[in-house]
Amino acid sequence: MLHHLIALILHYGVALVFVNVFAEQIGAPIPAVPTLIIAGALARNGELSSTWVLTSAVIASLLADWIWFVLGRRYGYRILRTLCRISLSPDSCVRETEAYFDRWGMKSLLFAKFIPGFSTVAPPIAGATRASTIQFLIYDAVGAFFWAGSAVAAGRLFHSAIGKLLKRLEDLGWWAVIFVASVIALIVFLKWWQRLQFYKKLRVARVTVDDLKSMLDRGESPIVLDVRTAGSRKRNMQRIPSAIVASGPEEVAAQLERVPPSSPIILYCT
Amino acid sequence: MLIDRGYTEVRPLAGGLDAWVDAGYPVEELSE
Repeated sequence: MLHHLIALILHYGVALVFVNVFAEQIGAPIPAVPTLIIAGALARNGELSSTWVLTSAVIASLLADWIWFVLGRRYGYRILRTLCRISLSPDSCVRETEAYFDRWGMKSLLFAKFIPGFSTVAPPIAGATRASTIQFLIYDAVGAFFWAGSAVAAGRLFHSAIGKLLKRLEDLGWWAVIFVASVIALIVFLKWWQRLQFYKKLRVARVTVDDLKSMLDRGESPIVLDVRTAGSRKRNMQRIPSAIVASGPEEVAAQLERVPPSSPIILYCT
Repeated sequence: MLIDRGYTEVRPLAGGLDAWVDAGYPVEELSE
């Protein structure tokens, strides 16, 4: 049975690479690297064209990233919340990923795809900073080329081992299809579970804006820390009244030097 | 990091600064 499937992959290989890369880059929890590695191995055996696999991966990635870039440009940082909801990757939603962009700017798009979480948030952040579209497309295309190219190169390098694995899967028939589908389902489930735990932890600890306003009105004066990155603050030069501004861990530590450990502390980002 | 330093009551603000602004609560301008 599986040889029909492999025949399909061989026939629609480039289109499958396109769909898989696009789905991953738009935020679906479906990894594209295994597909690119297998496509690389098939290309080494002369069954697919490396050039077409790479071209299709770069175009799919660029298209998905451009959509997020345009949404980021239109809706600003708010679009990150939508992205965090669909990507199932809690690591996309932490401020450290944003700090990469602040530190490296558009150049971060060259390596963004190699960093889990950052890959998904870099294009909307670039859009939110109102970066030039041409510059974005150039850096993003070069980054996508390095990312897809390294996976295809790995496939070409290990083509013999991958060929043996595919042969073994082919011998397993429908069991192989069940095995591959189970692995994909397990990856999606683990990502969903990880996100559930992350949000559960956040929900337990979070304070709402109404609660904070009531606390301030009652004169409870909790320590309010503005922990946005320097770049974020530059883009929005406002703060909650009396908030202490502190970006990195050292700055936070310095600002809290005289604050007793029992004091309530409320942190906020964008 | 704060919890590691012994701070026990550390809580993030749901929705961050955007939610505070959206709720119409006052803000201060940051100096350069």
